[in-house]
Formats: sequence, C-alpha cells, structure tokens
Amino acid sequence: MELQDRLEELSASGIGIAAISYDSPEVLAEFAERRGISFPLLADVDSSVITEFGILNTVAAEGVGPNKDDPNVVADVAKYVSAFGSRQMIVGTPYPGTFMLDAQGRVSSRFFEEFYRERNTTSNVMLKLGIGVSPVAAIEGSTAQLKFTAYPSNSSITVGTRFSIAVDVEPNEEMHVYAPGAEGKGYRVIGLNLEEESMVRYEPVEFPESEIYYFEPLDEYVPVYHEPFTILQEIVVNADETVEARMAEMDTLTLSGSLEFQACDDAICYLPTTIPLSFTLDLDNPDRQRATTR
Amino acid sequence: MRIKIQKSIVSSLLIAFILVLSTAALAQSRTAIEVASLGPQVGDLVPNFRLADQNGTLQTLESIAGPAGTMLLFHRSADW
Repeated sequence: MELQDRLEELSASGIGIAAISYDSPEVLAEFAERRGISFPLLADVDSSVITEFGILNTVAAEGVGPNKDDPNVVADVAKYVSAFGSRQMIVGTPYPGTFMLDAQGRVSSRFFEEFYRERNTTSNVMLKLGIGVSPVAAIEGSTAQLKFTAYPSNSSITVGTRFSIAVDVEPNEEMHVYAPGAEGKGYRVIGLNLEEESMVRYEPVEFPESEIYYFEPLDEYVPVYHEPFTILQEIVVNADETVEARMAEMDTLTLSGSLEFQACDDAICYLPTTIPLSFTLDLDNPDRQRATTR
Repeated sequence: MRIKIQKSIVSSLLIAFILVLSTAALAQSRTAIEVASLGPQVGDLVPNFRLADQNGTLQTLESIAGPAGTMLLFHRSADW
C-alpha cells in the first residue's frame, strides 16, 4: 500500500497517521495483515465519526431511497457514488479524502475530490505539503547553470489517480532562473511542458514563491529563483470507460515533454534551454480482493 | 353563473400555481453537493473520536497525533 510505503518519511516528519472507514475491526485486521499495514485503521462501524465530521456520503443513501429515480439524484450518484448506481453497501461511507491537522488538531489543509473515482495519492499530498519524498524513477540532469531532478510522485498509477511530477531545481552559485511574471520582461520562465495525452489531464503547474531580483544594468526588478526550489505538475488520470479500456491493453504509460528555463548570473544571460524529459509509469489494476470475515 | 365559472378558473389556476410552487420547492430541497464545502475547513478544529483500530486498541485524536500533526484519511472501505 502506498501510504504504508511512505510511513517512515511521514513519521520522520513528525506526522501521525490514521485511516477511518466503516469496516469492522475484524475486516480491518485482515486487510492490515494482507497488505502489511502498521498504522491504525479505525473502525467507525456505525459511521458516527464520519457523520460528525460532516462528510457522510448522503448521495449513497439517496441512491437507494425513495428519490433514487430523480434525475438530479441519478446524476449525483454517478458523480459521487458509483457509475453502476448506489447500493446499500455504500451507504455509511464518507466522501473519501484526507485532512492534515496541525499539532493543535486544526485543519491545515484538506484533500477531497468532487468525483468519486479520483484520488490523491499520499505521495502527491506529501509533495504538495512540502514534505520531502524520496524520488522514485528520477531523472537527474545538469547544465552549466543548474542541476535538476525530475520524478513522479508515484511510480505506478491507475484510473482516477491524482499524482504529480516534481522537478527539484538547484541553480548553481550566483545563478538564477526566471519565475512567473518575468515573461513580461522578455525572459523565459522555467516550466515543465508535457505533451497532450488523452488519458490524463494536467492541472496548472504549481510554482513556489519567487524572489525579486534587481538587475542594475537595466534598472529592472524581475521575479527569479536562486535558491533550490521545486515545481509541481499535478496530473489526473481520467476516469472514464475509454481510458479504462485503453489501460487494460497497456502495462505502462509514458508522458513526454520538456523542462524549459533561462538562467542568468549578474553578468551573463544564457540562452533559453530546453531539456527533453520522459516519464514511464506502471499501470496498476485496482485491488479487488475482499476480506473473508464480514 | 359567470362569476361561478371565473371562480373555478381562479381556483384551478391557484391549485396549478401551488403545484408548480411545491414541485419547485421539492426540486430545491436537494441542495447541490460540493464536497469541498463539507466538513471541517482549513483553520477549524476537528471533532475528537474514540475508535477501535485493527488490533482492538482504542484510539483518539491525541493517541494518533504526531508531534508535528496528523494525517487523517477517510476511506470508503478497506474491503471493496
């Protein structure tokens, strides 16, 4: 399990972990055993905690209730419950998602999806929170101006996976690269440009905060990065039948593109550089095995 | 006679009007779902709980918390 694989890194960051579902302790015990899970899986058998948190999936109950044929209910069931309609088994489940809490128990960030088939990976959540994850399948490179490491948050993905490709960039000493906002001054802003692929959709690239650099010869102020930084390209594997059918025929998915940037120091501005990058990800089939204890 | 007809027209119109209104009210009684707006938001304290884990140990928010905070996941099921 992906979260179990990241447990050590999360613990090292001082973060405690637990997962809540409506399963019985017996079902959870078997699941933990089968998947080698050591963090607490909590049994909210009557869904009371899920309900108190306000994230009970009420559409699941509507989908098996008196209004199940209401077109609005039907549409919501397809979005929030299941493409195959609701079932009694789904009643009592939450909208799946993750809360990050600070040491006082306040929500510091939350990761929930509007479409039931889309899920954030734990590694993606960690990257977004700035918790370092040890890169898997990393591409390392360097130029005369910088070093970079590009890696996917997850080495395997499936239908609906929300993951990301991270690029850690370390400009060489005295060197800076251009941040969003610098394009107006005629500089090439650093960017990860991935080619269109119909099986996935790309979210806008996330950039960290930049700093303002004063370039005296031109008396201009430009947003730049000169300390190590990370840009994140979040990607969602589309969850529809076409993708599912295509994926069943494939073992891997390759996303290709390039890292573009322009680097300068106090004296010299180098030409914009384009470095081709390609990431091959394993395609997983979801785990459909069920516990033998009910 | 004429008044009577008008009366019945008025009352059927009224009934129709009420019907339309109540249908609209029914349709609106289902508020659109937006998961992002459900449950504790950033900055909110979350409710505490006491739940058994897979080993039968009772856990609370305090018992699972790490020194820097907690990652609390809600899953549909570990079983399907």
